[in-house]
Amino acid sequence: MKRCILLVGANLRKAKGQSVAIFILILLCACMLNIWLILSMDYKQNLERSHEELNGEHVTLVVSRNDEAMKEQLISLLEEDERTADYTLSPIMEMVGQFQYNGGKVNAPLLFIDMADAMNRRIGQIEIVADSAYDSGIYLPLIYRSEELDIGKEIVLSIGSQEQTYTICGFFNSMMYGSHNCGMIAMVLTSDQYEKLAALGYAPGALLGSIRLLKADQGEDYATQLKTSVVRFDSTVRITGNHYAMVAQSRFISQMICAGVMSAMACFILVIALVVIIANIINYIQEHMKQLGTLKALGYTSAQLIQVLLLQFEGLCVVASLFGIALAYGVFPIFNEMMIAQTGIPYHIHFVWQPFLFTMLILGSAVALVVWYSARRIRHIAVITALRQGVTTHSFKRNYVSLAHTNVPLSFALALKTALTHRKYQVTVCITMMVLALVVVFSGLMLHNMILDQEPFLNLIVGESADSCININLSHEEALRNFLERDERVNKYYLYHSESISHVGGVDLVATLSDDFNDVNNRSVVFEGRYPRYDNEVAIAAKYANDQDLRIGDEITLALGDRKERYLITGLIQITNNLGKDCLMTRSGFERLRPLQNTSYYVNLDENVEIDAFHEEISGYFGREVNALINIRTTIASASSVYVMLMSGIVIAILVLSVLIITFVLYLLVKTLLNNKVQEYGVYKALGYTTRQLILQTALSFMPSVVLSLGLGLLVNAWLINPLVTIFLSGIGIVKCTFIVPHMFNCIAGLVIVLFTFGLICLMARRIKRITPKQLLVGE
Amino acid sequence: MKQILLETEKLSKSFSGEGVLQHVLRNIDLTLYQGDFTVIMGASGAGKSTLLYALSGMDTPTLGTIRYGNQVLSDLSIDALALFRRQVCGFVFQQIYLLDTMNVMDNVLAAGLLVSKDKKAVVKRAMKLFAAVGISKEAQRKFPTQLSGGEAQRVGIVRALINHPAILFADEPTGALNSKTGLDVLDTLSAFHRQGQSIVMVTHDLRSALRGNRILYLKDGVILGECELGTYTQEDAQRTQRLNQFLGEMGW
Repeated sequence: MKRCILLVGANLRKAKGQSVAIFILILLCACMLNIWLILSMDYKQNLERSHEELNGEHVTLVVSRNDEAMKEQLISLLEEDERTADYTLSPIMEMVGQFQYNGGKVNAPLLFIDMADAMNRRIGQIEIVADSAYDSGIYLPLIYRSEELDIGKEIVLSIGSQEQTYTICGFFNSMMYGSHNCGMIAMVLTSDQYEKLAALGYAPGALLGSIRLLKADQGEDYATQLKTSVVRFDSTVRITGNHYAMVAQSRFISQMICAGVMSAMACFILVIALVVIIANIINYIQEHMKQLGTLKALGYTSAQLIQVLLLQFEGLCVVASLFGIALAYGVFPIFNEMMIAQTGIPYHIHFVWQPFLFTMLILGSAVALVVWYSARRIRHIAVITALRQGVTTHSFKRNYVSLAHTNVPLSFALALKTALTHRKYQVTVCITMMVLALVVVFSGLMLHNMILDQEPFLNLIVGESADSCININLSHEEALRNFLERDERVNKYYLYHSESISHVGGVDLVATLSDDFNDVNNRSVVFEGRYPRYDNEVAIAAKYANDQDLRIGDEITLALGDRKERYLITGLIQITNNLGKDCLMTRSGFERLRPLQNTSYYVNLDENVEIDAFHEEISGYFGREVNALINIRTTIASASSVYVMLMSGIVIAILVLSVLIITFVLYLLVKTLLNNKVQEYGVYKALGYTTRQLILQTALSFMPSVVLSLGLGLLVNAWLINPLVTIFLSGIGIVKCTFIVPHMFNCIAGLVIVLFTFGLICLMARRIKRITPKQLLVGE
Repeated sequence: MKQILLETEKLSKSFSGEGVLQHVLRNIDLTLYQGDFTVIMGASGAGKSTLLYALSGMDTPTLGTIRYGNQVLSDLSIDALALFRRQVCGFVFQQIYLLDTMNVMDNVLAAGLLVSKDKKAVVKRAMKLFAAVGISKEAQRKFPTQLSGGEAQRVGIVRALINHPAILFADEPTGALNSKTGLDVLDTLSAFHRQGQSIVMVTHDLRSALRGNRILYLKDGVILGECELGTYTQEDAQRTQRLNQFLGEMGW
């Protein structure tokens, strides 16, 4: 062992540059692996920990009626159900409202809870995570803490057609209603403000039920059945609800995307590091053939020589992994801050064993495997052959690009010769370029569909967008239609209304209704089959259809209260609003179950029309008959800004990382190539080749594989990227991404990479200048 | 009157390392003439190869000048020196240094196409030279590792001569060969010399030195003396005796 360690030390000293580059690659890989594992393992557990600490509920139900009869009915329903473990009912006020956030507007059902009550709820209590001396005002969910919304500042809430201004006293953590991803947002008011709002009557009273179940995974079924039972009791009541599994999933979309990207990048770097290690070992064996032969002649066994390489690379891997994990904890506060801004749930950074062990295990075993695999050939080296520098008496090499027969200019011909002779370098270049091509295509896709132009992303995620949404009581629907018809600023208006509906044998679905789906702006929501046209037709979410084994042409039973009707599935849709539990149907189709009580209209306005001013007019004209006025543009801008911010960060990070990786890989390859060719370059120089010619020749030798693999990579990835992104987004109900692939961007980026690579290799190959023909001088 | 090819004036070369300055060549004044087969002899460490590399523009002198026609080599840039080597010099190495990634023909063309764009003419000349040194067509397709030492060195000579060099420099061309193949290589060099090729060869081998018409003896970086043997036609006792006598005087 001691002898092996001595050899390891000698190898490391001799290949300092290569060792440092491999060290950095493994370090980056370990860092990303560890962050990914923390995000996927401990962050999810943090959600569960937080949920348990707050004795969080598994099902939340908000019923728009708060009287004794409803309360008694609810208590009886909850106590009769054997799955109920415990519950808390609280009187609250509930109303759809909106407020400014992140340069846009958040629009969601707002639950106004009395501070005293919120703090003392047995189930689903809130935890104050930032407080102040202000004794009158509002506490907001932590997720909304930002520059514009901070302690001491004011928040303006639009509730229906009214506005209320509150001083922000602090922030709280709540699992089930602490984010717009939960389907409802809690607004905790100090008692004086709560009473004041109740007296104004802007927000009607409601009942908030927080229910813990014996088995947490039964939340979805439980919520569906409970809603059905409540509607059966009072069909006019409006119910909002969620369950733990859905909230957990929706609050962690950003974390999921971030973890996914991290895991992909970690895998890519790992692949590149392993390829580099393989190339390094093969090169080492070739370069040290004579030394290996001598060691074998001295009595070293093949196993010992393989052990030396194993020790060398494993040692490097362990040290680099430890530094990488340390780096992960160093940069994790940045990720944590980003994640808290996305999830709204505090996470206290601490050392986690499992990611540490997994990172060490994955990297250690992967490196050991490739070292063993590529060092195996040492066993086949015969001592005599090795001592003759691996030269056998019969060589069957091919003379690539014969200078006598080719018409290619000399420098290109010699570059091609080098490229074809050193094919193992080209394989490494090809793999690196393929990875880079994927990164470029992904970045281009995100840039084009999410960062610069958000419409394709919004069409996929939000489903439908317009300028304004007006929800009005049914009694004034006709008047609103007449108003919109007369108004010259209105380009188009159409019914686009959501209601909750139950699938018998399944779960609750969010049904989106329209009179005629030909009117909607985004006609790509149905990606297979067609939109429903008649009152017995429905289009359902593809993810849900897959889960339930439903196909186009099947019939399903939908229910609302006691009423059940059969519907024919005409198409498959993808909307992520409800994590893939959605359906589309015509208004007449829905009204077979129950007449609408209010209706939402989407409105497209002329470009120059001020949407908020338009809303003020509507509000002034229809007064309290208007339940909600939503500026869809600002709402979407607010909701999507976090994704845009996250994606911009990810795109920048992976681009920077890719440039670093390319630089490392090229550095390793060029350095190894130059080391191998010192004598050859000396001969070339003696023959009269200039340094510039040799640098050009070296750079050109990499270009065929760079251009071919990058071109092929860009082409294949452009074709594969939508299915790949679909896999990433499948968790939120996307089954078919139709993002526009920016071919021009890909071409330009490809060209830039080729030029960058060429320039980089030229820079790295400047070492050729130091090679002089006098180095051929042997003895005196 | 012989035409001057290369002239050196107070040519010195020193190497420094670990605080020690080693003077390898000291104030050498030397003139090389057109058509001569100049042999530089001397013991190991005398500075023979250093002188050869300095004369061929592969290394730069520490002091002094080397003049080729109107060109002062010591004033040339690295790229201009490369052009000088390309256009004026041919080089035969002791270790041969054929490029093992290409076959015999391409080894020669890699040098030939550097100077001439007329590929047909270069190939034609290569074939002529191959024939002259006895390299078969079959051998031209082989890789350097598939050749015998003598064959490889003869290919090295063809490569050195492909661009019609004004001077052929040879650094111990038989040093890595056995006596039979070494003799073949020397015969090849003699044959080209008889055709008018100027050659400068470094050797410490007596039989190799006999091929030169002008023998220089180098000791401790200084040319100690020189001897004129006349053009080589065949090895004879008188020529050997003269050389032995000269070397004896030099302290060989």
